[in-house]
Amino acid sequence: MTTDLDNRPPRTVVRLDDVRKEYGDATALDGVCLEIRAGEAVAVMGPSGCGKSTLLNMVAGLDRPSSGTVQVHGQDLGALNETGLALFRRRHIGMIFQFFNLIDDLPALDNVALAAQLTGASARQARRRALELLDELGIADRKDTYPAALSGGERQRVAVARALMNRPALLLADEPTGALDSRSGEQVMDLLIDLNQIGQTLLIVTHDPHLATRCAGRLIEVADGRVARESTLEPAA
Amino acid sequence: MSAVWRAARAAVKRRRLQTCVIGLVVLCSTTTVLLGLALLTAASAPFDGAFSHQRGAHTVAAFDLTKASRPQLAQTARRPGVQAAAGPFGQAVLEMPEDWLWMSAGSLSVVGRADPDGPVDRIRLLEGRWATAPGEIVVSWPVDGTPGPGRLGTRLKARGAPTLTVVGFATSMSKSAGAWVSPEQIDQLRPATAQMLYRFTDAATDQQLRTGLTTATAGLPAGSLTTAQSYLTIKRAFAAQADAYLPFMTLFGVLGLLVSVLIVGNVVSGAVVSGHRHIGVLKSLGFTPNQVVAVYLTMVSVPAVIGCVIGTLIGNAVAAPLLRVAFSGIETGSASIGIGWWPSVLCLVGMPALVVVAALIPAVRAHRLSAAQAITAGSAPRTGRGLRAQRRLGGTRLPRPVSLGLGQPFARPGRSLLTMAAIVLGVATVTLTTGLTSTMVAYGNAGKGDGTARVDVQSGSPAAGRTASELSDRQIEQRLRSLPGADRVTARALTKVRLAGYTQTVFANFYRGDTQDLASEIVKGRWPAGAGEAAAGPAFLSQHGLSVGDRVTVQLNGKQTPVTIVGELMEGNAQALDSNWRTLARLDSTMQAAEYTVRLARDADARRYITAVEATDPALRPALRRSDDTATTTVVGFASVFTVLLTVVAALGVFNTVLLNIRERRRDLGMLKSIGMTPRQVMTMTVSSVAALGLAGGLLGIPLGIVAHRLVVDHVGVISFPESMKQVWHLPQLAALIVAGVTIAVLGALIPARSAARLTIAEVLHNE
Repeated sequence: MTTDLDNRPPRTVVRLDDVRKEYGDATALDGVCLEIRAGEAVAVMGPSGCGKSTLLNMVAGLDRPSSGTVQVHGQDLGALNETGLALFRRRHIGMIFQFFNLIDDLPALDNVALAAQLTGASARQARRRALELLDELGIADRKDTYPAALSGGERQRVAVARALMNRPALLLADEPTGALDSRSGEQVMDLLIDLNQIGQTLLIVTHDPHLATRCAGRLIEVADGRVARESTLEPAA
Repeated sequence: MSAVWRAARAAVKRRRLQTCVIGLVVLCSTTTVLLGLALLTAASAPFDGAFSHQRGAHTVAAFDLTKASRPQLAQTARRPGVQAAAGPFGQAVLEMPEDWLWMSAGSLSVVGRADPDGPVDRIRLLEGRWATAPGEIVVSWPVDGTPGPGRLGTRLKARGAPTLTVVGFATSMSKSAGAWVSPEQIDQLRPATAQMLYRFTDAATDQQLRTGLTTATAGLPAGSLTTAQSYLTIKRAFAAQADAYLPFMTLFGVLGLLVSVLIVGNVVSGAVVSGHRHIGVLKSLGFTPNQVVAVYLTMVSVPAVIGCVIGTLIGNAVAAPLLRVAFSGIETGSASIGIGWWPSVLCLVGMPALVVVAALIPAVRAHRLSAAQAITAGSAPRTGRGLRAQRRLGGTRLPRPVSLGLGQPFARPGRSLLTMAAIVLGVATVTLTTGLTSTMVAYGNAGKGDGTARVDVQSGSPAAGRTASELSDRQIEQRLRSLPGADRVTARALTKVRLAGYTQTVFANFYRGDTQDLASEIVKGRWPAGAGEAAAGPAFLSQHGLSVGDRVTVQLNGKQTPVTIVGELMEGNAQALDSNWRTLARLDSTMQAAEYTVRLARDADARRYITAVEATDPALRPALRRSDDTATTTVVGFASVFTVLLTVVAALGVFNTVLLNIRERRRDLGMLKSIGMTPRQVMTMTVSSVAALGLAGGLLGIPLGIVAHRLVVDHVGVISFPESMKQVWHLPQLAALIVAGVTIAVLGALIPARSAARLTIAEVLHNE
């Protein structure tokens, strides 16, 4: 795996201090404090509507807290404007989603290359790097296939490759196995474990205890917008 | 039906923006179409209405009383084919030696009638009363409105006739006379001819009118018919002004209609296609396919009807002042220029119908969709469309947001083509307007020479209530030449003449001196320099059935001379011809110039020259010539209104397309933002998606616009543009026009692009 960890991120990759998020009268997050260190794999669990997706959005810079601070890779996200956040995400954060969110008009290779091309990399350079990633994820032979013709597991692998394209300090996964059959789910879990083992910091939001226990070293349980419990998990077998 | 109405109302409320777009597009389209129709109808309908109301004469015929007796003429009313007739009325020609009322010296055709009514040519009295006794005269007032009672009582002194007092002003749509007197008075004037007014059963064409007259006058002695004036000639003269604008108004009307159909179709079908998921939900709730169709038709009809009603109101409000400009100065008689009722009705019925038809096609598709298909239609991954294009673009050196945007039109080729077609027509309109403006500006500048000032000097006239100059005509010209600053001097005499074989009098301008400026307005043939030569504008030539090389006989004060038309002017009064002093000498050697035009030297001070003229002789009235750019202003004004409307409609079409694309690609946009696409890059991508269409639209629209421009300038009846004024296209201008397509596209895309840039990623990605 060629994830770039040479630029030595600070020991703490994610720090949330007393983060509150309100939508009108509803409180989605209520004074959340959280710290994720480099190389950690953290799972966030909780019932629907508890605020775990909001928490992920805060860390990804997709949403802003009503109060409190969110720091990722040493950068206070509240200090960045929309363009700054986009540039920050591009360089330091990779995201994978439950429904893959691939662009239907582009084949697998171009979907992956897209992330690098946005930073200004040439099409050739981007495709070469994308091909390396697809090869490492075992789907290089599907590089010219369009998303509609890929299986769920393959689509998620393409999404993972895209997330890793710019060598992010933090990989966020939102229900990464939620839309997959059990076999494809297991394959994705193996992939996440491999990534973590080579030092990739992971934050996984899931309903699935099996995913959490297999992939994460630490479990954060959220209820009613608060961190209800934190626990350390046994390393995956 | 209430369930359908409720569902449709809810859909309208939920899709406010889309509803507004449909309403706005229909509004602008309706206004455009209404304006086009208004001018088309105004060109003929008011004349027909007023002519019919007065039971106008299809033919006004004059007969030589020495050859045909009054009883013989009365017999013609009972001939086959004659529906109604009036007359015989005695007819005489008075020679007015000086300017009188608002008219210049010349011939005045007078007819003796006991009353203004009758079976044919019911003359409308505008002011005063009818002439019932000798010494009274009713004068024709040919233009709109009335002269007011102030001029009643004016005494007219014609050569060889008793003094006549004006007791009334009247108007005849048949233009049967310049003035009317009582039968007793006309008898005193010893009329040489008698007038008969005919209405024929078949009178739709010139040929039918000729046949009708031939049949009616078959029993009369040979040569008794001296002149015959057709109502079709008058009708053509009536519409001459509007005819000048008709070619381009028609073209703008057609363009407006095409753009409207395209955009309305695109907007409405887009609304239905983007609502497939909603259709699925409705069907799963138990709505029948017909009810679903009804919901969608109702949904698009509500904004369409509102837009159509407002568009019709705006169109009517804008049309009235525009028509006033188009018909300014025309002899309208009792015809009232205004917008008829049927264009409004047509728009009110037609535009919503067009919207419904546009919606019907996709709605019927929705009718056939199963609930499951409809629900997945919005979210199922697409395959096939535009994939190759996207792939190729991804490998280019273009910035990725640009290449992504450029590939988007290939995903929805039908929608992209309709949008591009609207841009093509928008650019064609802009090109047409640019060309017309250039042509009209060149036309407006024609005859202005090198741009130096011109001063018109009128000599005094007692008839006009001014002191006569003590200097002779030649002395005045000499003085004007000798004053500092004068470069060239042209003298002009204006009088009414008659052309043998034509009933209407004609204004003749006779020029002397430096005529270079006038000669520059000749587009065919040459300036009439020799005796017995004349030139005229295209309106005069077409309305008199003449062309360069033809000969006519000009009559004035009992004298006549043959005149050859040697040149066609770029434009000119439909009732006037231009000749020279040598021709005038054959008709009237005593006539003097009434006006002098002085072209000043380049550095001359116009105000100082005018002061010098006034000091030379207080009877001379100099005035700096103001450029009369009415035609230019009218054409450019009309064209600008249409261009703004069509550009707005085209931009709204683009706006709608981009909006629909963004809605469909919300998930993609969210994902792109999540992997680091900046708001600026989102804007770039969105704008690029239509900029290419704009560029292609520009490249296709420009040749179309150039062809349209050529069509228009070649068919303006009252102006013959020289080739130099038609060649208005230059490379920088064309390059700028290509930008017009991109501008229309970018303007339409800007607002939805900004909304795309502001899209909340979290909401989009987690609501799947």
